[in-house]
Amino acid sequence: MTTFTQLVLSGIFIGGIYALMSMGLTLIFGVLRVVNFAHGEFLMLGMYGAWAATRLLGLNPYLAAIAVVPAMFLFGGIVHQIIIRPSLDKPHLVVVFATMGLSIFMQNVALMVMTADLWDVPPMFGSSVHIGPFYFKVELLLGFGITILCTLALQWMIRSTFLGKAIRATVQDGEAAMLMGVPVPRIFLITFAGGSALVGIAACVMMPLFSVFPTVGLNFVLIAFVIVVLGGMGSIEGALLGGICIGVVQSLSGYYIAPAFGQMFFFILFLVVMIFRPNGLLGQKGAATIGINE
Amino acid sequence: MRPWLRLCVSAVAAAFLTIGQAQAQAPIRIGVLLPLTGPFAKNGIENWEAMKIARDMINERGGVNGHKIEYVHGDATSPAAAISETERLITQEGIKITTGSFASPLAIAVSQAAERHGVFHWETTGAAEIITRRGFKHTFQVGAPARKYGQVAVDFIIDDLAGRLHKPVGDMRIALLWENRAFGKSVGDGIRAYVAKKNIKLVFDEGYDQFSTDLTPIVQKLKDVHPDVVIAISFPNDAILFQRKAKELNFNVAAFIGVSAGYSSPDLRKSIGSAVDGIFVADFPPKVNPKVLKPEVRKIADEFYKRYEAKMKRPPAGHATAGFSAVWALFTEVLPKAKTYQPDELRAIALKLDLPEGSLVNGSGIKFTNFDWPDNPKDAGQNLRASIGVWQWTANGNEEVFPPKLATHEPTMVPLPPWSKR
Repeated sequence: MTTFTQLVLSGIFIGGIYALMSMGLTLIFGVLRVVNFAHGEFLMLGMYGAWAATRLLGLNPYLAAIAVVPAMFLFGGIVHQIIIRPSLDKPHLVVVFATMGLSIFMQNVALMVMTADLWDVPPMFGSSVHIGPFYFKVELLLGFGITILCTLALQWMIRSTFLGKAIRATVQDGEAAMLMGVPVPRIFLITFAGGSALVGIAACVMMPLFSVFPTVGLNFVLIAFVIVVLGGMGSIEGALLGGICIGVVQSLSGYYIAPAFGQMFFFILFLVVMIFRPNGLLGQKGAATIGINE
Repeated sequence: MRPWLRLCVSAVAAAFLTIGQAQAQAPIRIGVLLPLTGPFAKNGIENWEAMKIARDMINERGGVNGHKIEYVHGDATSPAAAISETERLITQEGIKITTGSFASPLAIAVSQAAERHGVFHWETTGAAEIITRRGFKHTFQVGAPARKYGQVAVDFIIDDLAGRLHKPVGDMRIALLWENRAFGKSVGDGIRAYVAKKNIKLVFDEGYDQFSTDLTPIVQKLKDVHPDVVIAISFPNDAILFQRKAKELNFNVAAFIGVSAGYSSPDLRKSIGSAVDGIFVADFPPKVNPKVLKPEVRKIADEFYKRYEAKMKRPPAGHATAGFSAVWALFTEVLPKAKTYQPDELRAIALKLDLPEGSLVNGSGIKFTNFDWPDNPKDAGQNLRASIGVWQWTANGNEEVFPPKLATHEPTMVPLPPWSKR
């Protein structure tokens, strides 16, 4: 029973980190209806940023967010203006290949600049927290807390602010929103940049837990895609629930069945959910076409 | 007319003489296939530096039979690139001798392209057994084959650790953890077969996905079987994730043996700091006890270590020393006996080599198989005297600890202190 509880709790906490990492993707998909295939490389860039801020400026990795998040916001804005915006009114495949190309480009630039070496930040907390028979890494608990805060903040922003209203209006009917004076292109720009900034937060939370290297994004991007679809394609709390489900399934199947199958079991979960709830766990009907929901 | 004729004759004679001299000084060109960019670049560059030191050292000593050694590099970043670069060196540069290539998949590709053109390939570090099992005539693998990595880890447990832990070998609880792709699986298979032969039971034998982002289930599972020793075959990223998770879940073992790859990577100390101290690594020896080396080899070894450390600011890893040792043997044992430097002649010389252990800088000897090895009659070109051992991460670097003959130091930190004291 102790083992089972440890596995479930560890799964929930790491699942929270997965959810945080896919929140930017959810937001961008929910509003722009664009799948950013370079999402993993955005994460890689953010992690290098967090690493650099920690190692070169001597900042705590969590404080590195002060530098990394605005930088990622800016980077997202530039990518939107140069790559996403021109391909929005083209056939959907154009944006798929454009972001895919960006992903390969970023990986190779990282390889040239940073080489294939693995980089880490020094651990901040000597040992893990010990509660009864259970052990948890402090960084994991902190990360989970930050995920919950981000979920709540994002929900509040979408529900209660003027910007949130404009975003929802854009999602419901872009043309009508534009007629009502909502600057739709600017909403797209802000959402894409904001989604990238969220990846920056995730990168700062993940840097104390994982090493960064040019292809680190590939290890996480598949999980992020599954979470977005599982959660309901644009639903923020759906992403949180999806992330936790994947964390727990990964942890339990690895222990009770076989770790060698790796990602197989959460894809089985994914298939089962898609068969019985095609709009995801918390998605509304037609989520794939409707977009972000309240 | 006569003086004119005399002038002509002497001019022609002079011309012949110059050509003769030029021929005597023509360099021996060797194609070096190593990844200097891409994901293998890190180790490729270390190998390249070690090989360049060997080239400089031999050229400073006057070269081979008066010929200087010249390298022509081909960037073998992936198996596909390895094939096309090898083809390029052979067909466009006219290369007849190739060496390299650090990783097994690259070695498989390079040797295949070389064999197709009948070019002599001197493999320094590729370990997969298939390299010498394809009936090739011109491929010689100087380093140890993959199965030996696992065997030496098991021998270390039986001959050394069991005694240190005061446990009969039969009572030792040994766990085997392997990443489930080519390298991890083949080494894992080798270990399983070898422990079965020694009548030892594994208490844990599990493969895992090296790209997994959460190793909680594996560490928890290991923790529940209470092993004395863990043998792990991992790559750098998963080795780091595993050690961090072991610390998080407070999973303690009496001894931890990593097999080459992830556990021999300098990245490990950078990432987990002093927690790396005490971990054993079954690998090519980075350095061996000088006593096993022939006196003249000892001098070469000292010079190599001095030059490598001056250039790279750290001692060489096992594969870099292996790279140096192999090409040095090529320069001093194979090429000097050649006249034409053609592949068939070099093959005949290589097959005649019978060097006892301690002849190469890393403690190896040389004796190649030639479809005549009783354990596997299909094997040709595998060096049966390649050294392999176990070294340990120490506070200041690394020390060879097993087999005793090669050891530079006694194993320390057995049993490994619990995480609270590391």
